[in-house]
Amino acid sequence: MKRKVLSRVWVLGLGVLVLAVSLTSGDRGLTPRAADATSHPIRIGLLYGITGFAAIYNKPAIHGHEVALAEINEAGGVLGRKLQYALRDDKTNPEVAVRMANELVLREKVDFLMGTLASHVSLAVSEVARKNKILYLATIPKTEALTSEKGHRYVFRVASNTLIEGRQLAELEKTTPATRYYTIANDYEYGRKVVEAFVDHVKKVKPRAQIVGQGWPKLGETEWTPFITAILAAKPEVVLNFVYGDMFIAFVKQAKPYGYFEKVRVISGAEVVSTEMAVPLGKDMPEGILGNAYDVFYWPDTAEHRKFVKAYLDKTGEAFVPGWAIQGYIGTYFLAEAIKKAGTTDTEKVIAAMEGLTLKTPIGPVTMRAYDHQANRGQVYGLTTHSADYPFAILKDVKYLNAEGFWRSVEEIKALRGEK
Amino acid sequence: MRGTSLRPLWGWGLLALGLGGFPLLASEFYIRLATEILIMALFAMSFNLLLGYGGMLSFGHAGFYAVGAYTVAILMKKTSVPFFLAFPAAPAVTALVAAVTGYFCVRLRGFYFSILTLAFGQLIWGVIFKWSALTEGDDGIVGIRAPTFLTSSGGSYYFTLVLTAACIGLLWMIIESPFGRTLLAIRENTDRTQFIGVDVNRLRLLAFVLSATFAGVAGALFAPFNGSVFPTFALWTKSGEVVMMSILGGMHTFLGPAVGAAIMLSLDQMISVYTEYWPFVLGVILLVLVLFFPAGITGFVRVLARRESAGTRLA
Repeated sequence: MKRKVLSRVWVLGLGVLVLAVSLTSGDRGLTPRAADATSHPIRIGLLYGITGFAAIYNKPAIHGHEVALAEINEAGGVLGRKLQYALRDDKTNPEVAVRMANELVLREKVDFLMGTLASHVSLAVSEVARKNKILYLATIPKTEALTSEKGHRYVFRVASNTLIEGRQLAELEKTTPATRYYTIANDYEYGRKVVEAFVDHVKKVKPRAQIVGQGWPKLGETEWTPFITAILAAKPEVVLNFVYGDMFIAFVKQAKPYGYFEKVRVISGAEVVSTEMAVPLGKDMPEGILGNAYDVFYWPDTAEHRKFVKAYLDKTGEAFVPGWAIQGYIGTYFLAEAIKKAGTTDTEKVIAAMEGLTLKTPIGPVTMRAYDHQANRGQVYGLTTHSADYPFAILKDVKYLNAEGFWRSVEEIKALRGEK
Repeated sequence: MRGTSLRPLWGWGLLALGLGGFPLLASEFYIRLATEILIMALFAMSFNLLLGYGGMLSFGHAGFYAVGAYTVAILMKKTSVPFFLAFPAAPAVTALVAAVTGYFCVRLRGFYFSILTLAFGQLIWGVIFKWSALTEGDDGIVGIRAPTFLTSSGGSYYFTLVLTAACIGLLWMIIESPFGRTLLAIRENTDRTQFIGVDVNRLRLLAFVLSATFAGVAGALFAPFNGSVFPTFALWTKSGEVVMMSILGGMHTFLGPAVGAAIMLSLDQMISVYTEYWPFVLGVILLVLVLFFPAGITGFVRVLARRESAGTRLA
């Protein structure tokens, strides 16, 4: 019995020693960040959920990043240096994201971090950025906390946020005659926060408005009938929807037999009317849903937007530009512009350059607010409609609402953070 | 005889030298990876006290790991309790939770035990996920400020190493004690052990609580190391990870689960760097390991060692 233990311990000890030596000897030669700063590419760590349920939303953003990178590098790069990505799968899991972000910073020696989709994942990466004093630019996540009470010097966001989204939808209801509202959103941070923002704001702009009921399905719900019958029983005029992705597709299909979309008017956040949702739903997408998207490929009809759409389609060979592609595209350009303005990749100087920076984007100028690092990025809103031009629903009466007037003021954020 | 009794000292010495000297040689990334491996090794070994020695397959062990991590996180972030008080509170709270859930679980055998542990594990996850006021829900608690001696990767590594080693030492003493031997007897033949007059449920509960407590320590180590805690720590997939680690490393060997933890984490990290098809590569590697090393890596090494010593005796 004893003898066996000994030999195993022996092997184990030897193994650890060999591992230690082999790992350390190989690692020494990796490029140090500062040494040859002029010839080496500028390295950007990208974090997205490449596998798992969120993959279909992440792919368009990654493609957007790639299109921007190709354009920038063809034009000679930034400060004469090429941009380069190191892409990691965060598995839409905050624990994995922390490990991967650390690996990008410590082993890949990336100069900047970008990306993530899920709110909790972005908060996790933000913490790694703070600890390692690395600039992190969030491209999609919406949890308002990321740039308000949990914000710090090293985190920036080019996406909208839960507060802006909820308030914008409420604002659009200001002039409608409806007073009876029902809300349905998944029972987690995003759903809770965005509904809270809507309810608070709609009561402000329309004091007669009342919430006649609320549904809180779990994330990943597939059985929608109980929710649909409960909504119809409450007889609301308007249903505010934040159920998204595959869940929304299932919801639409299960709601049809009830004549749901004829009985209630639906207003929706969570980008359910964006192209990547419209294509799989095809002709099943109900008409007249007031919804939002980061971008729709047919609007605005400007030279910048057409150029982006063409570049994306040429690069990816896809038939249509999905709505989230632009977030990757803008993200990379924002960072490149800040580096250019700073004249260096030094983190502190790039942060200073990014604060207050205004970028011309395909959907118009976007400005990064200096104090909280939240871009004034809003979303496009429109009504779903079917036309002979496309086999899926598009938006009509499209307009872009930016964040100003909706986001928290700097004073409010200071109070949230306990600063003066 | 004297010659053989020196061999374990050599082995342990080498192990201590390797682990102790590691931060002096390795870069910060690998020190972090090693720290995470140490924590997961403790987590997996705590689990194996139940599986390998008690014959109890728990699918809710991650719940206790999460309780440990959240205890530290909540005490430090929400109530500003200093780390040196929050840290020991973690195993205490975990033991309490384990005593309550274990009271019900140990009454069941086999699959029924596994299912109930799964249910309790998910219950803990549900509480963490839903109780946003205390746990901040799915956003997790981020920005846990570790004390200054833990902020450097080296300091964090040595702190983890010392505590992990101490806990593994305690686990060894538990397994070698009469209690540990009785636990083996329960695993081998529960009915017979009961007939001898052993209070089986009481001992199983003790094993359950002890095992959970060490998982709580692992969680408490991970919280300041990671800087943030998330509900996913309590999810059944996390429980599944330690089951995999134990089986991969060898659940009938004392250090087997630790080896499993090291392999799983290293593979996961390394493969993800090189390909986005990491689940495929990882799956194939695990398939080969499970098919060709049914007793786990350490079980295989043991067979090799036995064959070798038999060979020298013949020659």
